[in-house]
Amino acid sequence: MVDLIKVTKTYQPDVTALSEITFSVNRGEKVFLTGRSGAGKTTLLKLISRIEPPTKGLVEIAGMDIARIPRGKLYTLRRKIGMAYQDFKLLPERSVAANIAISMEIVYRKNSFIQKRTRELLEQLGLQSKLNTPAAELSRGEQQRVAIARAVANYPEIILADEPTGNLDAETTQRVMGLFKELQRRDTTLIIATHDPSIYQEQRDRVIRLQHGLQDTSPPVPARPSEAVAQVDTVL
Amino acid sequence: MSLLSAALRHTGRNMANTWKSQLTTLFTVSLSILIFSFFYLAYFNGLLIGQELGDDLRLIVYLDEDPSPPLEEEYRRKIEKFDQVESITFVSRQQAFASFSRQLGDDRDILLDLPPDFLPPSIQVSPIKSLDSLSRIKRFSDYLQTLPGVLRVQYGKEWIERFYSVIQLIKIVVILSGCLLIMTTTFMVAHTIRLTLLSRQKELELLRLVGATNNYIRMPFLLEGGFQGLLGSGLGMGALYLLYRWLLLRFSGSTLFELFPCSFLPPATIALLMMVATLLCALGSFSSTRKTLRF
Ligand SMILES: Nc1ncnc2c1ncn2[C@@H]1O[C@H](COP(=O)(O)OP(=O)(O)O)[C@@H](O)[C@H]1O
Ligand SMILES: [Mg+2]
Repeated sequence: MVDLIKVTKTYQPDVTALSEITFSVNRGEKVFLTGRSGAGKTTLLKLISRIEPPTKGLVEIAGMDIARIPRGKLYTLRRKIGMAYQDFKLLPERSVAANIAISMEIVYRKNSFIQKRTRELLEQLGLQSKLNTPAAELSRGEQQRVAIARAVANYPEIILADEPTGNLDAETTQRVMGLFKELQRRDTTLIIATHDPSIYQEQRDRVIRLQHGLQDTSPPVPARPSEAVAQVDTVL
Repeated sequence: MSLLSAALRHTGRNMANTWKSQLTTLFTVSLSILIFSFFYLAYFNGLLIGQELGDDLRLIVYLDEDPSPPLEEEYRRKIEKFDQVESITFVSRQQAFASFSRQLGDDRDILLDLPPDFLPPSIQVSPIKSLDSLSRIKRFSDYLQTLPGVLRVQYGKEWIERFYSVIQLIKIVVILSGCLLIMTTTFMVAHTIRLTLLSRQKELELLRLVGATNNYIRMPFLLEGGFQGLLGSGLGMGALYLLYRWLLLRFSGSTLFELFPCSFLPPATIALLMMVATLLCALGSFSSTRKTLRF
């Protein structure tokens, strides 16, 4: 579903955010993208949704080289992908419901569908009471969940989540992971960028590790809880 | 939900957010429509009056001799060579005398002592009734004067020419105010819409990120421009009608109005003007979205 072949990204003037990254993610697969802050996770997600162009290499979605999609047809790619941004990108003066509705309105979903889906998502994420609250009045953790809800609302084929649990407590993190599991059952492809080992260590899913823009291909260390904690400490 | 209903919702929100500059634009659009259509109305009525003047357009060419049939043909050919005409009528001495005595009616006794050939023969030339021929009547007359055997050429009255130059002047003002109209509508609307666009930059960027089509993003702004054009030109036309009624009341009874019937613009013209204004405004917003959204 998502294929990267020797993808390199250099920001002007000379920051190499990613170099020679190659991996494939199958349809319905959930993959974690890890690495310290600054490792290039966000950049990688931006390349997949063509927010940034790669400096070198090939990015394919469903077998199609996305660099060749003309600007006027970019929306076809963007509709396949739901992205929860690290900086949320919510419209501050609009209500939570309006923010979530955007991704469904642009494909002309019926109002009844939009309302039902919005309520359902808010309930799953524990935000029922915030339906009509302006996004600006939410805490960061709440805003984060609204961003996730907007990304998944219209059932995109691919979901890219950038640090989706960065501001969440353990219980809310479980809610979000539950939502992702459910989407995976619907054959959604998920790529989750995170530097929080606790959310992927107990899972069976593949982990792609980045280090200073390089892909770390050494076999994963079977992590013991103590090690995980140590790792977090060094990051913080 | 369709593109249109979604776009309408966005348009409503945008317009509610920037209602102050919306009002300014609306006012400017109405005012320029009013100015343009006022002069157009004057021009339009001038044309109507011009048509009424048709009969005065006739040129009378006095000849020294009754022309022979071949000479008549020669005259006809030469006249038609200069300009298209509606009719050419030859009036012989006898016909001139007969029609003169008919005009005199009961006073025709005074003609008894005169020879029946004392009036000169003439050619009556009626040019095509149009403003163009009005403008050429002087040159036409000069040309006819050069034909052999012509004593004198007489035509309408001097004020026809003056009337014509007034109409010409109004025509220029119509064109100028038309340019003004085009500039205010497109530029003002483009400007207001650019303000809206800039204030929504974040939202538009987001819409693009979540996969909205260019049309989805652009349509609300086109509609906004169209609304401004439609509403503005409607208001302008309403104001023009009120002004027209007021002028009629104010000047009713004056000789000018007795002489010539005035009329308001026909509905088809009003509709056309409003349509053009709406299109121009939509065009203004289109250029604005092109520049700001970089499609
Ligand atoms: N727009 C940009 N311009 C220049 N450098 C950038 C830009 N975005 C990210 N970078 C740099 O690229 C590297 C990777 O950043 P990023 O992809 O955000 O990492 P992560 O999401 O893993 O924290 C960092 O060194 C960062 O400073
Ligand atoms: Mg990041």
